[in-house]
Amino acid sequence: MFDTALTLKDLIFLAKGAGITLAITAVAVLFGTLLGTIFGAFKAQASALAAAPLTFVLDVLRSVPLLIQLILANAFQSIAGFGWSPFTVACVMLSLYTSAYCAEIVRGGIEAVPAVTRRAARSLGMTWAQDMANVTLPMALRVALPGWIGLTLGVMKDTALVLWLGIIELLRSSQILVTRLQEPLFILMITGAIYFLISFPIARMGGRLEARWREND
Amino acid sequence: MFNYTFHWHQALRALPDMLWGALVTIEVAVLSMVLGIAFAVLLAVARMSANRLAYGAATTWIEVARNTPALFQIYMAHFGLGSFGIHLSPWWALLAGITFNNAGYLAETFRGALRAIPPTQTRAARSLGMGPLRAFWSVVMPQMFRISFPPMTNQMVWAILMTSLGLTVGLATDLAGVTQELNVRTFRTFEFFALAAVLYYLIAKAVMLGARLIAWRLFRY
Amino acid sequence: MKKIYFATASLAALLATGAAQADKLDDIIASGTLRCAVVLDFPPMGSRDADNNPVGFDVDYCNDLAAALGVTPEYVETPFPDRIPALVSGRADVGVASTSDTLERAKTIGFSIPYFAFTNVVLTREGAGVDNFEGMSGHVVGSVAGTFEGIKLEENIKAWGAGEFRPYQSQADVFLALSQGQIDATVVTSTVASAIVASGQYEGLKIAGDAPYPIDYVSLISLREEQGLINYLNLFVNQQVRSGRYQELYDKWVGGTAPGLTIDGVYR
Repeated sequence: MFDTALTLKDLIFLAKGAGITLAITAVAVLFGTLLGTIFGAFKAQASALAAAPLTFVLDVLRSVPLLIQLILANAFQSIAGFGWSPFTVACVMLSLYTSAYCAEIVRGGIEAVPAVTRRAARSLGMTWAQDMANVTLPMALRVALPGWIGLTLGVMKDTALVLWLGIIELLRSSQILVTRLQEPLFILMITGAIYFLISFPIARMGGRLEARWREND
Repeated sequence: MFNYTFHWHQALRALPDMLWGALVTIEVAVLSMVLGIAFAVLLAVARMSANRLAYGAATTWIEVARNTPALFQIYMAHFGLGSFGIHLSPWWALLAGITFNNAGYLAETFRGALRAIPPTQTRAARSLGMGPLRAFWSVVMPQMFRISFPPMTNQMVWAILMTSLGLTVGLATDLAGVTQELNVRTFRTFEFFALAAVLYYLIAKAVMLGARLIAWRLFRY
Repeated sequence: MKKIYFATASLAALLATGAAQADKLDDIIASGTLRCAVVLDFPPMGSRDADNNPVGFDVDYCNDLAAALGVTPEYVETPFPDRIPALVSGRADVGVASTSDTLERAKTIGFSIPYFAFTNVVLTREGAGVDNFEGMSGHVVGSVAGTFEGIKLEENIKAWGAGEFRPYQSQADVFLALSQGQIDATVVTSTVASAIVASGQYEGLKIAGDAPYPIDYVSLISLREEQGLINYLNLFVNQQVRSGRYQELYDKWVGGTAPGLTIDGVYR
């Protein structure tokens, strides 16, 4: 159908870019979730005043375009002389960015567990940690999981922005091929299809999960 | 530790230019939201319709918008459509890209909201003598907007953030574009982009505040 | 490699208490790697071959520099607007990236003596209605944000008061926009324009006369305070010309007599 100069080598080149995209996503989601869970649990427990500094920082992370956060982080690390690679800058910034959204999801999940349930758990003699581990978190997880899946996919798509730091991820690889082969439409469509193939099945699975859990509520 | 001298006065001197850029940012975001809502209503209705063609087209739009990066969508609007000889200027490409994205996400929001409105209401409205369009317009849609208002606010903030991607298609008049122009001339990256970050934060806060006022006026939350 | 670099650097720091600090030149030699910022959408200065590996005049120039230093070259691809940020943020040691030596940039980074010189021409598309430099008035034109010719062209459009200027973030996007008809013309260095037209990669592109800009001398770049390294780069550029390697590379990538790199009547 298409008369193209695209070779198998070029497809491997694209696949490598997709690998970088997935690697950055994995790191960002892992650390972002860990940090976000801590931040979210803290925000759900602490008073508004005590949480204010954290709330402000997380708010900034959610109110400034990621592209600008990445550029700023990169400029800052050079000024401070950290000597980080672009990959490190991308992972650190995306982890923080992910944690800001994850904190909200976790807080929403914990707050969705009725206070009476938790009091009942404590009155059965459970400690705070037992209540958290056996009652609150399992219930919160159900509320939070669909949002978390959405966040993961969002981060995967947002990694496209790290091309600005000179990282050759999926979108940048496709631009390189476009420059050499001059078939913008065809190559961009393949790139879009790769993103879609990564994202769509997971999004569908998340949707199913959400629907099934809603039925049982 | 810092082997670097900050030149803040240089950045502050450029503040008027950046404020003009902020205006373009807000303009594109608001337009993309208005258009996005209009398309999203159509998409949500089409996705619930029995017409296979309408369903297929709406589903494709929604899934592509939600499963590919916004940067990709904007790049496509400029260079992808350009391959067909359709030339959108950077400003229009940005607006088209964000509108496409907004519509996809909002359509799903609206669909969820529509499910929450009991069908008996439509039947009641129809039995009062309203036509199907009238029943949708005056009975169902106001409730749909009321239910989806919080996610719509989030989408509006997203639209503001997404405008920053216009510089990848040659837009130089919005806040990110103006900032990058200043940056590539002087290479005072940190100062200029820090100032831009503050402005984006303030715009986002203003949007949240505005949304709260609208919600209070319209829906009495 | 990184680990060795850090180990060496910290060891050097320990040993050098009281003595002079190791500078960038020492760091490069100690690390065994020279990281060159190169632009790869700017043939024949820099592009990618069929295996997507970097090739071009600048890439060879970087190889020569690495060989002179006795280290391995490593290429850091940077679009034009990203060259100087890449240096400042420590992603690259040296920029071999056709960087015009403007006074504005010299506030931030250090320049060697010129290693290449460009003249600029108008590049347009068949049927776009642009026949010469003045013919661009009233048309939508574009160039790479912040480059020598980009800044000049934007000033021209403002002075003419007719037409529109679009700054793109990479040279590839400018050529793509031109071939698609998003813009009607651009100003670009003559060597690159000829290479692009000759490659046949973009259909219907043609050169429409010279742009009346001064000769665009381009230099190797490094951090502003790295005087030791800049000193080395100056001598290296001089040796490249003296040894005939400059002409040799010019023959390989461009062809003809390599442009002179000195200006009459003034010292660098």
